[in-house]
Amino acid sequence: MALSVEKITFAYTRQGRPILQQFSARFEKDAITVLTGASGCGKSTLLYVMAGIYPGDAGFLREGTVTVDGQDPAQLPPPEKCAVIGMMFQNPELQFCMDTVENELIFCLENRCVPPEEIPARVDDALKFCGISPLRHRTLLSLSGGERQKVMLACTVALQSKWLLLDEPFANVDEQSAAQIAQKLRRLHEERQVGIVAVDHRLDHWLQVADTLCVMENGAITETAPMDHPPASDWLEERGIIVPHRPYRAPVSHREAGDTALSLQHVTVRLGGKPVLLDCSADFAAGQVHAILGESGCGKSTLFGAVTGLCKYAGTVTVAGVNAKKHRHLAPGTLGLVTQNPQDQFVFDTVYEEVYKSLLSKGEKVASAETERVLRESNLWRYRDLSPYMLSQGQQRRLGVTALLSYDCSVLLCDEPTYAQDRRNTVALMDGLTRQAGEKGVCLLFSTHDSELAESYADVIWHLEGGKLYAQS
Amino acid sequence: MRSLDPACKFVGLLVPTFFLAAFSNPFWNLVFFALCFLGLCFSKVNLKVFVGIMAPVLLMAFAMFMTGYHFPAQGNLPVNAQSLHISSSAVYNGLLMSSRVLAYAAAGLLFALTTDRIIMVRSFQQHFHLPQAFAYGLLAAWGVFPHMAQEYRRARVALRMRGQKAWPVSPAVLKPLLVKSVRWSEELAIAMESKGFSGKAKRTQFQPCHIKPVDILFLLLSCVVWPTLLFLL
Repeated sequence: MALSVEKITFAYTRQGRPILQQFSARFEKDAITVLTGASGCGKSTLLYVMAGIYPGDAGFLREGTVTVDGQDPAQLPPPEKCAVIGMMFQNPELQFCMDTVENELIFCLENRCVPPEEIPARVDDALKFCGISPLRHRTLLSLSGGERQKVMLACTVALQSKWLLLDEPFANVDEQSAAQIAQKLRRLHEERQVGIVAVDHRLDHWLQVADTLCVMENGAITETAPMDHPPASDWLEERGIIVPHRPYRAPVSHREAGDTALSLQHVTVRLGGKPVLLDCSADFAAGQVHAILGESGCGKSTLFGAVTGLCKYAGTVTVAGVNAKKHRHLAPGTLGLVTQNPQDQFVFDTVYEEVYKSLLSKGEKVASAETERVLRESNLWRYRDLSPYMLSQGQQRRLGVTALLSYDCSVLLCDEPTYAQDRRNTVALMDGLTRQAGEKGVCLLFSTHDSELAESYADVIWHLEGGKLYAQS
Repeated sequence: MRSLDPACKFVGLLVPTFFLAAFSNPFWNLVFFALCFLGLCFSKVNLKVFVGIMAPVLLMAFAMFMTGYHFPAQGNLPVNAQSLHISSSAVYNGLLMSSRVLAYAAAGLLFALTTDRIIMVRSFQQHFHLPQAFAYGLLAAWGVFPHMAQEYRRARVALRMRGQKAWPVSPAVLKPLLVKSVRWSEELAIAMESKGFSGKAKRTQFQPCHIKPVDILFLLLSCVVWPTLLFLL
C-alpha cells in the first residue's frame, strides 16, 4: 500500500516551464512523511497532483502516472476520491460550506452516500476522535484557526480517507493547537492506519510525530532521512527550511531610540463583545525595530487594525504627533501597513504606478527617475507595465514594501510579513525591511509568532498576551 | 412560521404578492402587512435585526406615500401650488404606494427572518429540484460574505494610506475584491471536492424535508383563501 508518483512532468501552462519534470517518488503508508523545501520548489504542486486536484483544476500533466493504492485519484469521481485521499489545506477559513460543525460533517457523509441511519454515529466518532465534541453545534465562523483545522481533520476522519495529504496545516494555527493537531495526526496514523504526507517548510511541529523527512529542491527530492536523524541544521537552512531554535542572523548592535513615533494610550478593542486588547499603553520610538510577539489569534492584527483605523477602539493612538482617530490629518504615507497578503495593499493598475504615485509629491521628474531606480533595485523594472496581481508572491511582497517605503513613512506596520515564507525569503525580506527602515529612521513594527525572528531583528520585543501588551525586559 | 417547510413558505408568501399587485387596494396591502407582522411577532425573531431592517423600509414607505400623495394618478403636471391641496384621491394614492412597500417588505422579512438557510437549500433541492452545485455553491458563498466585508474595509484603508480618495463603490475598492473573490471561489471549490462533493453525483439526504399538514394548510390559506377573499370582497 503506497502512494506512488512515476516520472511525472507537470506545468501550469501548456507550453510553460514544468514545475515537476520526470519526477518520481514513493510514499509508504506505514510512515508519516514530511515533504519540505524552499518556496517555489514544487512541493505544494506535487501534493495537489498526488491528491488528483491537478491537472483537473489547473495545469497540465504532460506525462507520468500517479497511483494511490493502485488507483489514479485524478480519474476517480469526488465521492470515491475522498475515500482514498483526504486533504487539509493551509487556509482554514476557506474550507467549509455549511454553517455549523455538525452540518459540515453531515455534508461530507451525505457526499459519500452514507446511509442516513449511520450518519449520527460517524459524526459522533469523528468529533470524539478529534476532541471537539463541545464544538458540535458551534458555527464555523465563530471558531479559531486551530479549531477549524481540527474540524477539517474530523471531516477526513468521518470520510474514512485512507490517505491524508496536508498543505502547511499549521500556517494559521497557534502553537498549542498545532501541537494538539500533530498528536491527533499521529493517533490517526497509528490507530486507523491512515497514510500521511505533509508539506511544510517549518519542522518544529513534525519533529515528535513524523517518521520520514524528504527535502525537495528544484522539483526533485534530493534527500530522504528518518525524522529522528534529520540532515544537519546548516544544510537544511541553506535549502530554505526553517529549523527550530536557530537564529536568522548573527546578533547586531541595537539602534538608538529616537523620538516617539507611535504612541498607544489605554487602547482597548472589543470584537463581538469580547475584549481582544485591554488597556494597552506603549510608546514606540523612531529609528528602532519593534517586534510584537504573540500566538496566532492573540490580537496582533487587531492592534494594527486599531492603529490603521480598521478596528474601533477606546483610548488614544498618536502617529507622528497626530491623533490617529482623525486620520484625515495624516499625510499620505505617514503610516504604512505591510499586510500578510501583499495583494491587500495594491491600489493601482500597474507595478510602475504603485511606486510612481507614491513619489508624485516630489514632482513628476523626480518621481519618474526615482521610480525607475527603485524598481531596478528591487528587480521589478521589467514587470513595470504588468498588473501587480500578475507578479509572483515573492515579487508582490517586494513591490508592497518598496511602494510603501517610497513615502517618507514615520511608522511602518508589518502584519506577520514572513507568513508562509521559507527561511531564505524570510531573511531576505526582513534584511531589506530593517535596512531600509534604518536608513530612513522609520519606526518599524512587525508582528510574528516566531520568537527567533523577533530576537534576530528587533531592538525592542513586545509581548501580546491575554489582551495586554508589555515590553520584554 | 419557523416550523413551516421553506419551499411551501416561499410559495405561500410569493403567490399572494402577485394577487396584491393585481388589486390596487391599500386596505388589502395593509391587511397582508399586518398578517406578516403578526407572523414575525409569533416567530421570536431577533428584534434588533428586525428593527434595523424595518427602519429603512418605513422610511421608504413614507417616501412612497409622499410621492403618491403629491403626484396622484389624476393630478395635473407640472406641479403647482394647487396640486398640493389635500384630497382623498391623493391620500389614497399615497397609501396605495406606501402600503405596497410595507406588504412586500414584510413578506420578504417574514421569509428571511424565520428560515434556516441550510434547511431552505435542502427543501428547495428536494421540492424544486434545485441543482445541487447551485444550492451548495450558494451556501459556500454565504460563508464568504464576512470575508468580503473585511476585505472591503482593508481595501479602503489601503487606499486611504496611499492618499487616494475613493467612493464606497469605486472600481479601486471593488477591483481587489473581485480578484480575491475569484481566488476564494477556486479554493472553496477545491475544498468541497476534496470532501466528496460533486455537482452531479448522487447524495444521501440525512434530513429529508417532508411536507406536513400544516404546510398544506398554509398553502391553502395563502394561495386559495386569500385570493378568494380578494375577489369576493
